[in-house]
Amino acid sequence: MNNKFKFITFAIISLFFSKLVSAEVAPGFNSWDDVKAAAEGQQVNVYMWGGSDAINSFVDDFYGVPLKNDYSITLNRVGIAGTIDAVNQVLSEKEAGITEDNGSIDLIWINGENFWTLKQAGLLYGPFATGLPNSKYVAWDNPAVNLDFGRSVEGMESPWSSAQFHFIYDSARNNYEDMPRNYGELSNWISNNPGRFTYIKPGKAGFVGTRFIKQIFFELSGGHDQWVGPYNDELYTKWAPKVWRLLNSWEENLHRSGETYPANNADMHALFANGEVDMSFTQSPRGAGPTNSSGTTPLTSRAFSFFKNMIGDFNYWAIPYNAPNKAAALIYADLVLEPILQAAQVQPANGFCCGWGIGTDKVTNLEGIAAIKDAQNNLGDAAEDQGILAKALVSDIAAEYQDKIEADWFANVLLK
Amino acid sequence: MNTNLKKINIYAIYLGAFILILPLIAFFINAFSFRWFYPQLVPKELSLQAWVRLKLIPKIDNRSFDNFLELWLSNPTIIKALLNSLTIGLIVTIASIIIALPAARVLGLLNFRFKKIIIFIMISPTILPPIAFVLGLNINFISLGLSGSFFGVCLVHLVPIMPYVVLTMTGIFANYNPDFEHQARTLGANKFKTFYLITLPAIAPGMVVAALFAFLVSWSQYLLTFLIGAGKIMTLPLLVFSTASSGNPALTAALSIVFIFPTILILFFASKFVTGDSSAKYGLGKL
Repeated sequence: MNNKFKFITFAIISLFFSKLVSAEVAPGFNSWDDVKAAAEGQQVNVYMWGGSDAINSFVDDFYGVPLKNDYSITLNRVGIAGTIDAVNQVLSEKEAGITEDNGSIDLIWINGENFWTLKQAGLLYGPFATGLPNSKYVAWDNPAVNLDFGRSVEGMESPWSSAQFHFIYDSARNNYEDMPRNYGELSNWISNNPGRFTYIKPGKAGFVGTRFIKQIFFELSGGHDQWVGPYNDELYTKWAPKVWRLLNSWEENLHRSGETYPANNADMHALFANGEVDMSFTQSPRGAGPTNSSGTTPLTSRAFSFFKNMIGDFNYWAIPYNAPNKAAALIYADLVLEPILQAAQVQPANGFCCGWGIGTDKVTNLEGIAAIKDAQNNLGDAAEDQGILAKALVSDIAAEYQDKIEADWFANVLLK
Repeated sequence: MNTNLKKINIYAIYLGAFILILPLIAFFINAFSFRWFYPQLVPKELSLQAWVRLKLIPKIDNRSFDNFLELWLSNPTIIKALLNSLTIGLIVTIASIIIALPAARVLGLLNFRFKKIIIFIMISPTILPPIAFVLGLNINFISLGLSGSFFGVCLVHLVPIMPYVVLTMTGIFANYNPDFEHQARTLGANKFKTFYLITLPAIAPGMVVAALFAFLVSWSQYLLTFLIGAGKIMTLPLLVFSTASSGNPALTAALSIVFIFPTILILFFASKFVTGDSSAKYGLGKL
């Protein structure tokens, strides 16, 4: 009896240690070599918003080629109109009872509410993000990285790149010095330049417009700090009426007196490029660079940022629970964090318009450092001073605020 | 007086054609423009950048024949989508004709109770908007394992296509006299020979019209392909939609030209069947 008990104790302890020794890098894989071996010959089905041909060809050229050559993985990039389509696909598959490795999606380019929907429903594979070899370059201690719209990531998605809200103006029409540097100054600018400003309608397609409004909350309430953390209804109800009052006071001086608003960033760029308004929004660290070279804004377009409260966020890759090629998906998620490829996505000549997914200070190899330096030096004059942007950076806030703001803006501003 | 009227008629036709062609002209200008903003009346910069981005034309410094060939054989997304659209269109067209043939024959030649109701049920997919039935169909297709498959997309394309094909072919058979078949049979032709020598030539012009309908409806499917194809089966309409949302007019215009070119080509070659003495033209009235 006693012997038996001892044996069981021993067995439990040794099991515990063996678990520690062969710690999984990701569920189902004991080592990275296992992942590599399993990934060979797989096809990775990458579902991502396909609206930017610059991003599309970047993925095809910079990831598709090394995946094929170094890992024998075939990249199948599936362009979708919105990330929500991929989320719905996973939900439909769940409803149809498709589990195990029989789904159709291996990776989704994701963040915010879409991530939360899938994570909450237990429809994601993981945790895998901290097990990736290149995870050492990720600034996991930064709340902008480990919180996605205020929700903890917990290794269920791995970062790809980042973006920060700021503005575009046309240097042929306006001077950099004359541009407003906070919402108070913007209010004055709007009344001095009637009809020359509009903003993107807040909503699912216009999250940039929602972001523009969130930042007003930060400025009016005197700071961003109190907005971090879970949704706070009291705080929101206190400041929302003041924000709607400000927006309504702009209305008569907005483009078309605020009867219509651009639905997304592409519409806003079109209004700006055709000279109907004097500012557009950008999310790229390169400012107006990407749109200038793709020909959707005039070549003389430049960027400027407010000095405070400019929301920045990270976007990620997540793997659905029923992904058919999980090993290949892990390889892909790891590959995009390679410092050289990260530098390539910032490098203007490559036409991608998003920023760093890694903490550039964590890179120690000389080759990586050189590539990062070179990319930073090449940002060009269409970009705002990176120091100003860094100082103004604040993280995005809980996803409930987004829903609230979108619904209340309709009721209190559009329909007023 | 009469010649004057004729002249006016001809001018009216020219005007109509001009109005139809005008948007196509705008497509062409847009597709070769670069940074074409208000208030420029005509684009200041002409460029092939949209075509280069679509990977249909190589980058500026290596435009030799070999490079074109290499680029196209490297299977860029747009070529893949074009081939997918073409194959799906052809398969679906042939399948729909084969399925519709017996139904149309019965509906066109015979009169029976509930015929109107049956016709109504058959054309109901054209009354319902696709979104109304495709979400439910999607779940069925997923559980049958047809979602994301080429076959599944072909199958779902048949839903909006069948009404057009059945109706058009019913029109042919409404004007068709089966006595010719009896005559051929009494003269010793077997069933196959009768179909091949008598039935087929009689219904061929109308069948071409039905095939045109089928192909064009399949060619322009977005929602059905998107949902049932689960994004895996890339066709041209999918590409056009996702590009249009990127807000680059030159790129969208270039892609649209690729999208409409095959249909214009097909219509051009098939135009004699549409305008000529096709039995499909006046058949529907007899229903």
